[in-house]
Amino acid sequence: MSGVWGLGGGQKGRLEHLRRLVTKLIKTERVEWSWHQLDEARGYAEKLIMMAIRNGDQHKPTMEMADYWLLEKELIHKLFKVLVPRYQNLPVAATNLYRLPDNKERRECMQGVLELKGNPWPPVLPQPRDKRLLLTNILLREACQEYNQNRQRSSSNSQIIQTQETGNPSSTSNSNTMGSSVDPINAELPGEGLQNMNAVSPETKVGS
Amino acid sequence: MRERKITHEHFLRGIDIMASACRPLWLGKNWTFRARQQCRCLCTKRNLTNSDVRQKRSALFEEEKKRQFSLVTRIEKIEVQYKGTPEDTTLVMNKGLSTPFNCAMHIQELLTSRTALALVDGEPWDMHRPLNKSCQLQFLHFQDEDPTIANNAFWRTCSFTLGYVLENAFKDQYYIELCSFPKPNVKSGSFIYDADLKFDNWKPSKTELNCLSRIGAKLYHSDLQFERLDIDASLAAKIFEDNRFKSAQIPAIAAKSESGSKVTVYRMGDHVDITAGPLISSTSLIGRFTVTAIHDIESPTLGPLKRVQGVALPTQLKMHYWTYDNILVSRGAKLNHAPFPFLSSRESKTKQKVRQRGKERIPHMKADPRESAAPTQSLRDPPGVRLGHAGVFNASGNAHCASAHAFAFRSAMKEF
Repeated sequence: MSGVWGLGGGQKGRLEHLRRLVTKLIKTERVEWSWHQLDEARGYAEKLIMMAIRNGDQHKPTMEMADYWLLEKELIHKLFKVLVPRYQNLPVAATNLYRLPDNKERRECMQGVLELKGNPWPPVLPQPRDKRLLLTNILLREACQEYNQNRQRSSSNSQIIQTQETGNPSSTSNSNTMGSSVDPINAELPGEGLQNMNAVSPETKVGS
Repeated sequence: MRERKITHEHFLRGIDIMASACRPLWLGKNWTFRARQQCRCLCTKRNLTNSDVRQKRSALFEEEKKRQFSLVTRIEKIEVQYKGTPEDTTLVMNKGLSTPFNCAMHIQELLTSRTALALVDGEPWDMHRPLNKSCQLQFLHFQDEDPTIANNAFWRTCSFTLGYVLENAFKDQYYIELCSFPKPNVKSGSFIYDADLKFDNWKPSKTELNCLSRIGAKLYHSDLQFERLDIDASLAAKIFEDNRFKSAQIPAIAAKSESGSKVTVYRMGDHVDITAGPLISSTSLIGRFTVTAIHDIESPTLGPLKRVQGVALPTQLKMHYWTYDNILVSRGAKLNHAPFPFLSSRESKTKQKVRQRGKERIPHMKADPRESAAPTQSLRDPPGVRLGHAGVFNASGNAHCASAHAFAFRSAMKEF
């Protein structure tokens, strides 16, 4: 055994540190540490939970893995009895990893939070507030709805005007005008009926 | 053409505007009195002015408030359980004297400045209305989880304020009679006050609307409280005897109340009006205030009226000026199809309901007021009702001029 146990202890120390992180994650269900080390530990914790779900507690390699990664042996019991039933039908990852805001005064490296899903702690991210009922939002939403309704109405009106102006609906030029009338850019312009008529007139002359 | 020729007429008009505009700011009562006397000499026909009526109403309100206050002879204590930020507390307050505002003063300053309404035992309660029993108290503001109650109170308050603007904007020679405003509907995009402005063919320009808006917007700085009073119908009739619409509405309003003879009246500054409430705490909560349009409408029983519309936002809610001016104000200028004012005292209730339903939406009435202007004129009341109306038109030559000069804006004065 080297003198340094954990970070700075070479490859063995690094593994030892990762084991501690995985153990702490399984035990407390939420760990706060530097983001990069949590990212590394996350993979091992995910793999351990996945093996436990697939193989169960009768599988020898799985038990060996659990014995290696969990430093506190009573957590092996928690892994198979609590976490396996919790994540059995979960199609996605069993953990969440968040970045914490930088605090340059305290530490230089990027901090993060690793947690097991379904933990009993309060959520890391705040619940998004429902602001639909604020006075400004009500006014703007209603204005938006009215604008959209008017636009639909004006575009359908311009369609009717064009069919009346072009006269013969069976001619080839008319089918082009019908296509242009649906165009929302034309419909938005003021006096769209007149403009569309002008655009259409040369085509109708050519056609006739 | 920026050059202005200053004539004798301009000078006279300037003085006249000064007389009514600067009065509350720095000139004493004597000046007011002299100015009013001068007006009376110039126009002998007129006998009612808005400023006189305002003072009378305010004095009666004050008298009644003192009387009701004097009824509380012995101070009793009540327990008020407050629920909310910063912490739940129990306060011991005075029965019939302490208001939710006083409770907020004991808890936190923020609560006094931002709260629009109180919830007393789950019911909306004005901030300046005394508490009558031990109760549970909560405070509402415009950024709550569900601010619907505060929003409606705000919209109602803005209608109330619009009445204040109309009564204060015009010179004394035009006697404005306010009629009523419908229930608050934020989704319609504008709040309303229906009134008889005594101008037939007045199409207000952008500048004129802007000047009207400024009177309302300035209230933010004056921080006037909304005081509530439940008064007897006979006193209400006395307060509003100079307004033909209000005095006709009072019996019906009193009959609807719980005791059968009470009318709820609010006062802001010296402006008194009837509304069931509740209203917000003070005018400092009105952050933006714009009068967007004035439309001609035809009430089934009350004849032709003007529908004045506006848009406002609370101080707490911020919005970019582009969005406000281009989207909200332009939408608020379209005619609001809320039910028109309707007088029901002579008819049975069933008949009135039927007629009201029929008149609720008028699809043929377009947003352009010019279309309805022609029938409006022919159906006007006999000229005796509107005093000083003909005199204005004769003196100034044409109607447009008369209306343009009619304003005596307090806020616009700075630009002159």
